[in-house]
Amino acid sequence: MSTITATLGTDRARRLRAALTVLLAAAVAVGAPFYFAPFQVFQLTMVLLYAVALAGLNLLVGFGGQISLGHGAFFAAGAYTAAVMLDQYDTGHLATLPVAAAGCFLLGLGFGVPALRLRGLYLALVTLAFAVFLPPLLKRLEPVTGGSMGLTVDKLQPPAWSGLAEDQWVYLVVLAVTAVALLLARNLLRSRVGRALLAVRDNESAAEVMGVRLSLHKTLAFAWSAMFAGVAGCLYTWVIGFVSPDSFSFVLSITLLAGLVVGGLGSLYGPLLGAAFVMYVPSVSQDVSEAAPGVVFGLLIITVMFVAPTGLAGLPGRVRAAVARRLPRPAAAPDRTPEAASAPDAKPESQSASEPSATDTPADPAVADAEPVGAPPRTEKE
Amino acid sequence: MTELLQQVVEGLGSGAVYASLALALVLIYRFTGIVNFAQGELAMLSTYVAWQLVASGMPFWLALPVTLAVSFAGGMLVERIVIRPVQGAPELTVVIVTVGLFIFVNALAGLIWSFTVKDFPQPFPDGGLDLAGVRVDWSTLGIIGVVAVVMGLLYLLFQHTPIGLVMRAAACNPASARLSGIRVNRVLMLGWGLAATVGAVSGVLVAPLLFLEPNMMGGVLIYAFAAATLGGFDSPVGAVVGGLFVGVAETLTGAYVDVIGADLKVGVPLVIILAVLLVRPQGLFGRAAVERA
Amino acid sequence: MSEPTTERTEAAEGAEQPDFLKVTDLHAGYGQARVLQGLDFSVARGEVCAILGPNGAGKTTTLRALCGMVRGRGSVTLNGTQLLGRSPEQAARLGVAHVPEGRGTFNDLTVEENLRVGAHLRSRRRAERAAVAADLERIYGYFPKLRQRSRQAAGSLSGGEQQMLAIGRALMLRPSLLLLDEPSLGLAPLVTRELFEIVRAVNEEERTTVVVVEQNAQLALDIAHRAHVLEAGRLALSGPAAQIREDGQVAEVYLGVSVSARKTG
Repeated sequence: MSTITATLGTDRARRLRAALTVLLAAAVAVGAPFYFAPFQVFQLTMVLLYAVALAGLNLLVGFGGQISLGHGAFFAAGAYTAAVMLDQYDTGHLATLPVAAAGCFLLGLGFGVPALRLRGLYLALVTLAFAVFLPPLLKRLEPVTGGSMGLTVDKLQPPAWSGLAEDQWVYLVVLAVTAVALLLARNLLRSRVGRALLAVRDNESAAEVMGVRLSLHKTLAFAWSAMFAGVAGCLYTWVIGFVSPDSFSFVLSITLLAGLVVGGLGSLYGPLLGAAFVMYVPSVSQDVSEAAPGVVFGLLIITVMFVAPTGLAGLPGRVRAAVARRLPRPAAAPDRTPEAASAPDAKPESQSASEPSATDTPADPAVADAEPVGAPPRTEKE
Repeated sequence: MTELLQQVVEGLGSGAVYASLALALVLIYRFTGIVNFAQGELAMLSTYVAWQLVASGMPFWLALPVTLAVSFAGGMLVERIVIRPVQGAPELTVVIVTVGLFIFVNALAGLIWSFTVKDFPQPFPDGGLDLAGVRVDWSTLGIIGVVAVVMGLLYLLFQHTPIGLVMRAAACNPASARLSGIRVNRVLMLGWGLAATVGAVSGVLVAPLLFLEPNMMGGVLIYAFAAATLGGFDSPVGAVVGGLFVGVAETLTGAYVDVIGADLKVGVPLVIILAVLLVRPQGLFGRAAVERA
Repeated sequence: MSEPTTERTEAAEGAEQPDFLKVTDLHAGYGQARVLQGLDFSVARGEVCAILGPNGAGKTTTLRALCGMVRGRGSVTLNGTQLLGRSPEQAARLGVAHVPEGRGTFNDLTVEENLRVGAHLRSRRRAERAAVAADLERIYGYFPKLRQRSRQAAGSLSGGEQQMLAIGRALMLRPSLLLLDEPSLGLAPLVTRELFEIVRAVNEEERTTVVVVEQNAQLALDIAHRAHVLEAGRLALSGPAAQIREDGQVAEVYLGVSVSARKTG
């Protein structure tokens, strides 16, 4: 076994392993609704749709280095778009998805243009103000939105041919949309836009010198990000069948950001972990007290930023790095175990993908970086 | 005309509250270069301290200085425990930490005092002055007066005391300040303490009007952001002017623009922030510190 | 061009406490970049010491290690007190005044406020107030231009005036060791010359020990008693300033500029 991994530690083997992992994950994901009880399936559905919103937020925060405190508002915009279309025009569920996506994309562009011309935190301010403004606006637009009573619409129903229960069908549809959304997010990051974003995040002025058009890319990133939140909102309407202004208060925006930070900024599967967090932590800790979710979230965010800026998704990489540091190389060298052999290869990859330099170890760079000298002298310049 | 003046006076009253929270934001921004999203929640916590003191029988005008002292110590503690560990980290990290603090403090207040609304004592007498048909309540005058006194004290502190000079030097150029022997970390703690104190003033003043509950300062924070953006995030004078302007703009649009009305007034700060960013991003009194991207 | 080389050398030789500042086996760097590779030198009390060398030789890092801006290993003692491992503010309290590259004035503060910040360690004591006022006068004596602009914001000064202000602020500390990092950077030759004459005057009148890092070797050698030439983080050459200056070949090799050419020009 060890010889196989050691000798076939090649590109092909790695790709094979990745494909197997994906297949296994897909099988588990598709099989889940036939194993769990309806309520648990519903919870899993919610995790999936939150993951879509978080993947969008991740594009912005984790890769774009910008903060939105108003993604709940885009989520709400998507949800209301779907609800109003179903309620007033009876369009059918499928038609609401592209409209919600396009609408939120445009909304994102509209806010991104003024807020992203500048460096700093103006996007956070603008989005926060928008998130606070939206619920009263929804209440005011009563003829369309149903005011503070909200709107009740049809949930997504399984077609007769499928023979599935409602929760199973809804789960599978949301799973499909989520899978497409996550793939899209991944491809966005690998596209020119994504590479430009990473360059901007890591070194804004250098990227600008290299000809990256900053404000354009940042604004586009924000628009994409708003679109994902809108899609998630649309799915929410399909799943819950009810929207009201109070479901989308400012707390939702904050919760989404919290989930993303805990799940892992800038990582590809951080949004999934974060979404599970957004779903389960409140429902578990709410039993303790109304305030408990906030206390937990607040403390976790601060702790994560202190000790593990890469969040849950970054933990394996960090642990591996820590282990590698503990085991001195000479000791591990004589019998190269598969782990030891693969760790150095795997590390840089996972680091570049999941460790945003924007959230690297907090410290005063001038002081902390100047390590005591003594090791082999090298001739580096000032 | 009288009606208009009446609205302006009321706008100045709420504007003074926004000004003092905006001033707290600007203080932190000047010292640490970050926007403290938890500023409103810290003020809310201070207000609960005041409420607790008054509820346990302390007269309001004694509870106020005690609250301010507690807030000062609390602000310093927050800097030491929560902010210091991420000092020098990327802006994004620091901001997320303040958002975490926001969530934590909000929930903590709910945990201790529950989310039910509490009546906060009105420290100023009923009634007021009648100036040529414009009625100015004692409470409005009181709010403006208290905020004016706070501003005056801050001005004296910064412009006419050795410690104020040291604080301005540290805010202006921390590296050079350290080379001159200034313990910049202590100055930062002082800055956070001061900001928390100034923020506490806004909380205590606004509580009788809004009723005290953990989410009380959320709305005020948005107005304070608008005020600081309008005045310029690095300008204390701008924060005050911006606060008063936002207060008046809010009251006037609420009263005279039917589409807006009382329920949509919270759209006013959003519009102001967007307009400032489009027209004059550095704000009225700010220097062009924010780079164009 | 006045050439008081001989007097300067004698002053250095006559100085008491030859190890007033003693640097032993100093290593320092930034992260992975090891800049200083074991530096040894001493500066006598009352001496002006110039640190010269090409770009990237470690001149600025040396100064930063002395004042605590960069962590170092080895030993740096000032009058017997260990300086390594201290923060910049602690170093300042021990009498080390560092004028950083790029001046580092407090641009929002007025000129006089800048100077008062320099004296803030003392001004809290009531008894010191008169002394601080006298020091202000002393600084204004050295830099009459600063007196004219005492109420102006430091940010509105010219580059030369800002450099004067930075040096003035450092002197308000009443330092026992004054560190100057590239004081001539970005300044017109006439202004630089004036500045160096003032540094020389300060050294002569107050016996302040000065370590100056300079690209412009000619200028620094004019006011220095002793000079050290760095290359790649090591001491390449040390000696009395006059000797380094006279040794044209050495200067050309290590300083990268032709001293004799500059002299005539």
